[in-house]
Parts: sequence; C-alpha cells; structure tokens
Amino acid sequence: MNEQLKSFLEGLDGLTLECEARRGQACSLKDLEALRVEFLGRKGKLAGAMVALAQMGPEDKPAAGKKANEIKAALTALLESRQAELEAASVQDGLAGFDPSLPGRRPAAGSLHPITLAMQEICEVLTGLGFEVVAGPEVENDWNNFEALNMPPDHPARDMQDTLYISDSIVLRTHTSPLQVRTMLSRKPPVAVIAPGKVYRRDSDLTHTPMFHQIEGLLVDKNVSMADLRGTLTAFVRQLFSANTRVRFRPSFFPFTEPSAEVDISCMLCGGEGHIKNEPCRVCKRTGWVEILGCGMVDPNVFRQVGYDPEAVTGFAFGLGVERVAMLKYGIGDLRMCFENDVRFLEQFS
Amino acid sequence: MFISLQWLREFVPYTGTVKDLADRLTMQGLEVEAILDPFEAIAKIVVGHVAERSAHPESDHLSVCTVDVGQPEMLQIVCGAPNVAKGQNVPVAMIGTTMPGGMEIKRAKLRGVESRGMICSERELGLSEEHAGIMVLPSEFKPGQLLTEALGLEREVIEVSITPNRADCLSVLGIAREAALGFGLKLTMPQLNLVEDAAAGDATKVVRIEISDGELCPVYRARVLTGATIGKSPDWLRYRLLAIGQRPISNIVDVTNYILMELGQPLHAFDRSLLKGDVIRVAPAQDGQTITTLDGQERKLLGSDLLIWDAERPVALAGVMGGGNSSISDTSSEVVLECAIFRPGTIRKTARRLALPSEASYRFERGVDQVGSLFALERAAQLMAEVSGAHVMTGIACAEPKPWADRSHIFRIDRCNALLGLDLTPEFCRTTLTGLGCGVDASDPACWQVSSPSHRLDLEREVDLFEECGRVYGLDRIPAVLPKISKSLDSVQMSDTEFGFLQGLKAWAVGAGLREAINYSFVGTDDLDRLNLPVDGRIMIANPLSEDQNVLRLEIAPGLLNNVRHNLSQGNASLRLFEVAKAFTADPTSDTSARENSRLGMLVHGSRHSQEWPWEQGEADYLDVKGLVENLLAHYRLTGPKAAADYVLEPGHPYLEPCVRVELPGKDGPVLIGRIGRVQPKIADAYHARKDIWLADLDADLLRSLSRALTPVFRSLPKFPPVRRDVTVICPATLKSQDVEAAIRELRPKQLESLALVAVYAPDAPADSSAPAERNLTFRLTYRHAERTLVDKEVDKEHGKVLAGLPQKLPVRI
Ligand SMILES: [Zn+2]
Repeated sequence: MNEQLKSFLEGLDGLTLECEARRGQACSLKDLEALRVEFLGRKGKLAGAMVALAQMGPEDKPAAGKKANEIKAALTALLESRQAELEAASVQDGLAGFDPSLPGRRPAAGSLHPITLAMQEICEVLTGLGFEVVAGPEVENDWNNFEALNMPPDHPARDMQDTLYISDSIVLRTHTSPLQVRTMLSRKPPVAVIAPGKVYRRDSDLTHTPMFHQIEGLLVDKNVSMADLRGTLTAFVRQLFSANTRVRFRPSFFPFTEPSAEVDISCMLCGGEGHIKNEPCRVCKRTGWVEILGCGMVDPNVFRQVGYDPEAVTGFAFGLGVERVAMLKYGIGDLRMCFENDVRFLEQFS
Repeated sequence: MFISLQWLREFVPYTGTVKDLADRLTMQGLEVEAILDPFEAIAKIVVGHVAERSAHPESDHLSVCTVDVGQPEMLQIVCGAPNVAKGQNVPVAMIGTTMPGGMEIKRAKLRGVESRGMICSERELGLSEEHAGIMVLPSEFKPGQLLTEALGLEREVIEVSITPNRADCLSVLGIAREAALGFGLKLTMPQLNLVEDAAAGDATKVVRIEISDGELCPVYRARVLTGATIGKSPDWLRYRLLAIGQRPISNIVDVTNYILMELGQPLHAFDRSLLKGDVIRVAPAQDGQTITTLDGQERKLLGSDLLIWDAERPVALAGVMGGGNSSISDTSSEVVLECAIFRPGTIRKTARRLALPSEASYRFERGVDQVGSLFALERAAQLMAEVSGAHVMTGIACAEPKPWADRSHIFRIDRCNALLGLDLTPEFCRTTLTGLGCGVDASDPACWQVSSPSHRLDLEREVDLFEECGRVYGLDRIPAVLPKISKSLDSVQMSDTEFGFLQGLKAWAVGAGLREAINYSFVGTDDLDRLNLPVDGRIMIANPLSEDQNVLRLEIAPGLLNNVRHNLSQGNASLRLFEVAKAFTADPTSDTSARENSRLGMLVHGSRHSQEWPWEQGEADYLDVKGLVENLLAHYRLTGPKAAADYVLEPGHPYLEPCVRVELPGKDGPVLIGRIGRVQPKIADAYHARKDIWLADLDADLLRSLSRALTPVFRSLPKFPPVRRDVTVICPATLKSQDVEAAIRELRPKQLESLALVAVYAPDAPADSSAPAERNLTFRLTYRHAERTLVDKEVDKEHGKVLAGLPQKLPVRI
C-alpha cells in the first residue's frame, strides 16, 4: 500500500476518533450542529480530507472512496446518536415543571332541573313501551278540562281540584287529562300517547305547589283491559324504581275513568316493611306503600264526547305526578324549593 | 268523614280489629286516612271518690279533699269548685297527667296546702261547656277506673276519605254496608219504635206541604212534635257526637245531627210557633230577595236558589241552612221536623255561591237516598221524643211529586271480564250485585237486567256495575299483562315531537354550561310593571293564591330575574341560567283565549368563568350571551352565508338596553327569532344586581320550525390551497363590524371564500376629546379557487379592490 493512501486512511480513522471524543462535549442541539458542520459540513474536516482523494491514482481510489463513505456513515451515526440523547434529555427537562394535579380549564357545567330529569326518565321508559309524546296548551277551556272529562258544571267532582280560573270558561289546566280529549278528537283509534306538562291548582304547602308537572298516559284500542293497564304500570315502575317494586291497585274515583284506581308502590326506603330498624318509615308513614298515580279505564262518557264508540273500543288512562317521583327518587323534602332555582340546589343535579 | 266503631257495630256485628277494618275499607275504595282515639287527651283521667272534704284553712272558697283513686294511698287534692262534696265520684287528673288544654298536672301547694292532682270540670275534660263546678260522676263508678271506660267513651274512630261518587258512604250506615259486604256480615237496621200520640193531634191537619217543582224537590215530609223540653242531650248522645268531632248543642238539634251522621239524611227542625199559617211551601227565591239565615247573616238570593216558605215568608234556604226567623231556641216546644230530598245541582250552586258549605248541603249536593229518607224521619222523630219528652202527632205531612223510580241496566258478564281482565264467575257477580242491594234478573245468561238500589245513585250504567264487581273482587287481584301497542304508519319519532325538540334544546343548554331553572308560569302584575311590559295582552288569573301570582308571564324574563334576586340574596353571585317555558299572551281568536309560545331564556350575571385558576377573570358581557346564541343557531344549522343571523340594535325596548334583535333571513324578509340585551341598570337594581344582567329570549317554536327544514348537504372538500390576506380598517367606533363586513362583500372580490374578524383594537381615546373615538378592525380574507392554485398576482388584484374600495364606501382608513 502506498504511503499516501495509508495516511489518508489513518486521517479518516482519526476523524472518527476525534468526533467520538468531542461529541460528548456538545451539550445542546446547537453545539451538536456546530460539530456537524465542523466534521461533515461543506468545508468541514471530512470534506478537507477528501481533497486528497482527488489526487490519488486510480488504483487507490476505490479503496479510499469506500473508506470515505464508511467514515461518513460512522460520523453521521455518532452525531445522530448524540442528537437522540440530547433530545431525550430536553424532553425530560421540559416535563420537569409539569404538574398533573393543577385544575383543568373546565368549561362551565350545566345541569337539568330535577323535575326535568324525572320527566325525561319517565318519558323514556314510556316511549320505550310504545307511547308517543303529545303536547297541548296550558291555558285550557272548561270543556276540555272538565266537561268532556265527565265533569259537568256543578258536579261535586270539580271540588277534587282547586282550579285557577282565567274566566268563567277558561282555566289553567288542572291536569294533563285534556290532552286525552284533544288527542282523541284529532285521531282515530288505536291511540297510545303520553302527555307530559305543567298543570295548575290553587294549592300551596310543603308538598303542593300551585304549578306542578304531570304525565298523562292514554291507550285506546280494541279489547284493552285493566290487566293491560296493570302490566304497563308494573313495567313502568319497575324500570323507574327497581325490579322488585310491587304495585298495588286501590279502587278510587276519577270522573273520567271507570273503574278507577289509585296505584301504590312498595316503599323504596323501607322496602315495603313500613319501618326501618323498628323506627317508623318517614316516606310511607309506616304503611309500606307510597301513592304514586291515579288511573282507570276510560269512561264511556268520555268516548262519547270525543266521538269514539264505547262498544267498539276500550282504553286506559293514567296520570302521574312528576314532582312526586322527583321527591321519592331524589329525596327532596320541600317542594317549594324546586321553584326557587337556587344554584346550590340546581347544581346537585348535575 | 269520621266513623265511630261503637256506632258502626250497632249496624254490623264486626268483631275484628280497627286496623283490619281500615285495611279492608281502603282496598274497597274507601280510603281510611287515619285511625284516631277521640278521647286520647283524657285517657289518663281516673274516677276518684271524695272520701273527705274540709274547708281550706287559708281560703274560704277552696276545699281540701281526700280522694280515693283506687290506690293504696289516698290523694290530698285542693279543689276550688263550689259543688265538691264528700261521697261524690269525680274525675281526677293525677300528677303527671297532661290536660286537653296542654297543662301538665304537677305537685303543687295552694295557699300552703299540698295538692296532688286536680278534680276536673266537664269543660276541662272537653266534654261540655259546663264549668260552674266539677263533674260529678254516677255513684256506681269504681275509684281508679279509667274515666273513658267508666263513661263508655269511644276510643276507636276512623277517618274515611269519601270520593264524590260515594254519597251513600257519608254515614255510619253507608260504611256499615261496606263492612258487611267486605266481611260477609249481616247488616241490621236499628229497631223503629215510634209512638204516635193521637191526643197531640194530626200532623197532616196542622201542616200542608206544597212543592212548586218536583224536579227541585221530589219529596218533602214533616213530622210534628209538641211539648218538647229543650235542653242538654243525654250523655250517650253527646259523647257520640263528640267522638266524631261534632259539638253538641241541644237535644232537638243534636238529634238532627245524629241522624245526619248515622243515616246520611239531613233534617231541619223548625219552631212551629214561629211559622205563619199551616203551610210549608218549597219554591224558588225571587231574584234579589234576601233571607237572614240562622247564623244571623243576611243572604241575597237569586231565582236559582230554592227556599222553604211558610204561609208568608221564607223560613229556610233549602238544604243549606235554616232561617233565623223560625229556628229552635231554648224556649221552643213545638217542632216541625223536615225531611226532604233536594236536587243536587241546585243545592250545590247555592252553597257555593254563598260560601255556605254545611254537612247538610255536602250530602244533598252528592245525592241522598230518597227511599231511605222515610226511615230517617221516623227514627229522628222517635229519638226526639225520647230525649225531649215531646209527643209525636199522628201522621206525616207529605208531598212527593216525583216518587223514586227503579233504574235498571243491562249487565254483560263477558264485557265485564274483558274490561277488567279477569275471569269472574256468574255466581260471584250475582252475589256481589245482590249484596250491594241490586235486583238481578239473569234469565238471559249473557245479558242480565240489574236494578240498582236507591242509595246507590252512582250506579247509573253497566260500566258502574263492572266497577262494583271488580272492586269487591279486588282490583289488586287483576293480573299484569303487557299490552301490544299498535302503531300507525304515521307515528312520530320522539325527536320530531315538540317535547323531543324542547328536550334537545335543554340538552344543548346544559352542554353550553347553563343551569336549568323552572319558574311558575304566573308572576305578579308588579313583576311585569317593573319591566315596563304592556298591559295589553296580559292574562290575569281571576282567583290567584296571592298578588304575586296573579298574571301569566308575557315573557320569560320575569321568572329568571326573580331567580337572580333569590340567588344574590343567598350569596350566589355568578349565574348562568336557562329556562324553557311558555310565554302567554291574550288572543281572542284562540279557543283558549291565549297564545302560548315556548321560549328559551338564557341569563348570565357576574363572572364569565369559574373564579378559579386558570381562567382569566372577567365579567360576563354581551359577547358571552351573543356567543351562546350563535352557538345555538349553529347547533340548529341556522348559520352560513345564506342563513346568517343579523344582530340589529333596537332602541326603546321596555327593559333591555342595549337591546339587540336576532333576525334570521326568511322568505318574506327577516324573521325575529328573539332578543339579546342587558337589563336596564335601574331595573336590575330592583333585583339587587350590582353587575350587568345579560339576557337572551328566543322563540323556541320558531327555532323548531326553522331548523326542521334543514338537512345537511355534503360539499366536496377543497382541493387547492387558500391564500389569506388581512386588512386592518381604522374606523369610527360607532361603525359596526357587520357594516364593514357587508361593505367588503359588496365589493365582490373574486374567489373570496370566507371573511372573518380576527382582531379588534381600540386605542385609548386621545386627550383631545373633540377627535372622534376610533378603533381598528382586522379582517382576514381567505381566497381560494375551486379548480386551480391561485397565483399571488391575481389575489393582489382582488385584494387591492377591497383596499381601494372600502374608504370610498365607508368613513374608514386602511
Ligand atoms: Zn317506607
């Protein structure tokens, strides 16, 4: 091997050694870039060494060229590995001040009113059973609110509801039952609807407010029976409360249903026992039952008023107080609190 | 309705517990609301025997008694009653007893003499108004016996809630019938033992009954009694009335009350010596006529009121209240005892109009047993004679223009079972119906003929009989079956209903960080006046509970503003509320006289964000509430160049300042979807708000109808890059950004894809205040060609049009 080639090759190896020795001194990417320029730049040390290559004889060129390429690759690898080290270190440094426990930039939290929560839950269960939701006016005429529902003027049944009047013939609807009338007047059977909404009575105390919410249910078809009513309500309360809720039908009276029943469900607090560890249950007042809704089979007189043939179809109707459900489900004691809209109250239902 | 068990047992041999009876009645549809002990307050009072009595050494009106209360040790009791005497049996309240008035008996010294109890008067025990002296008990009572036991006082009373259809149950007899039915017992009516005295006269000769209209009064009967002595009723009668909460008055009146409670038949006793002539007429009042009722009140009457007249004048308001001119007094001795039936609707109208509800009118307006009324009259006359020493004249003065007619209905057992979802046997149905007092003709097994008894006025139709069968069998035994709900092809999805839309709207609001409020639909007129809202269009409540709930909300704001006041008073200073509710406006063309419009109200007050780090602090302002509105409109796809809302300043709004109309483009010009604004500070003051209250009030119905028509349509994504150029416009502060934007668009730069405001800079006003305030608005214009990459030169040309054109269109510099 000639001397020129030998010194050329040694010079290249020296570059590798030097680079290896100096790369550790590069403490930043900037230092490292300077080092890269120094060794691999256009005017760098490798380029300088290559000047000698041009002057070599053709017999030496292949070996020298091969070596030069190896050295270039080796230098590049050396610098890149250092770069990786530096980058990893810099990420570490950047995370040093990262505090995962700081509060997030939380968008304002909204919430539904508990009455809406209860209402939505009830409607979801009932629409799941196949009922369709309808709506209607809150200011209602006497005919829809009373007369079509088998409560003629001067009927004692009108005493059951303390009415807020707009005029002699216009009332704030006292129940969602006028929606039964409106629906049947506008559709032919079969009809399966629920009507959620606000209703009004002239009444105010711990458990009564002059405005409250009801959900009316109505199913009219051929051969609807009270067993269907019981089945619907049983399925409903089991989904709404719990799978082991028991249902009790107590005969009662509503002018627009015959027979009529009050529906009690087994008390969810004491499990229907009436007492908890020998203490009387405050929810059911030791009866083990909680009154939850009124229902019955649509009175033939109502069918006649809306032009249905009571010999051809039968139906059931029920009316449920939403506040009652909200009180039972969420343990709200004083109903009036529901309408003060104190944000400390509202945010509990987020 | 209070029912005494003792009394009930005179009609039905029920031997079970009060609890079982209550449960059974409840499950038969007669809800027992409470089981009471009417004499609980005196349950601890015992019988004492006064063994010794001596005068008090220090007082001339006190006595010192030694009383045997059945205990080894005698009690020394100081007593102030003048009538206390050795050898008497007396009621004694021992140490530790709490008296009906709430006073606790303690060991005491009266003028130096120890007293270990109290000897009681009847008034102190709540047994009568008697308080001149202590109550003296029969000598056969045993010392130490409980007073309630010794007197045979009722300890078990049930309170039954009677539904309006069950007028027949407004009596001991009615409840006894139900108990007999429920427990399979036999009902026994009290034995009638009326002694007529021919020597006293003939009632039909001294009183003649005339009825003007049999519809108003189907029957009127009267017994005449003579020689009555008015006085206190015997103990058994008084105690029985007391047990069910009725105040005893005098023997004649007490008997009418007793029969009312026992048989459900209201009666009225006239003093015959005060009646003019020998006729009793039942006829309507004349419009404008007056009568003074026995409570001393003068009542103005209408032609629809029914009166009882003597030969000259009205003597009673039929079925409601007697007249002051003819009522029984302490000196009465001649009695005309009225027993009649009146038309329910007539009695109800009168009692309600005059606000005169009474036990009598309550029963008449629900319906009284016409056939049973004769028995009630006879039993009442018998009892009156017994308790007052009166003689009963022979005969009954009577007019019955409309005798009771049996009502008969068909009963199809198949339909009964189909409706109830049961499988009742013909035997069960027949037993039940006959048990109710119905006549059953089952000669056609599929279609019976059933007549209902006169005391069950509510059994008017076949379906009423179905209910009876179900009720007696037990509605609670009906099985649960899930119905198959038939749907029609045009059934609507939940989300397409008004309810579904409003729920979606609420869900959006919750996501936007607002809390839902629910307010009453009514507020006070003050609440509307405070907001300067018009008087026209208000819907007033005729009989409000209070003045602050007397008018329906014309807008959603009054309720939300009241929530601001409440929350601020509770120290909740930062509010982000929404409400979805109806606003009500009078509308004579509506069949309900009202127009109802669902609104979405949003209200922000106080801090924009949580006051916690890392949010920057700042008060909510116009841009916050407008941002909510813009987000909402975008949520419902009411956005983009063709649907973009206009925000137009509206001067002179009743309570908002500034007030901004939110308008959407519509087919026939802009459509007002709602308003955004700040509650005028003076008005906000009234709600104790120290910071700005920003409100948005949007028409949810309109939002629904506009958004329903919109279905998103896909557009291909752009293939070529955009070129963006900014332009900063120096303009007067009064110029709206919207106007600059519009001017840029009017210049129609080609290939302009979008335009956005990216910066607003308002330099401090120069010291020289005469110079108009200015601000800088920077817009970013995005240019893009759909089919090729734009070159700088062509963008420069288009952008140049904007730079050159703007100062010509508007008073601005670039
Ligand atoms: Zn319970």
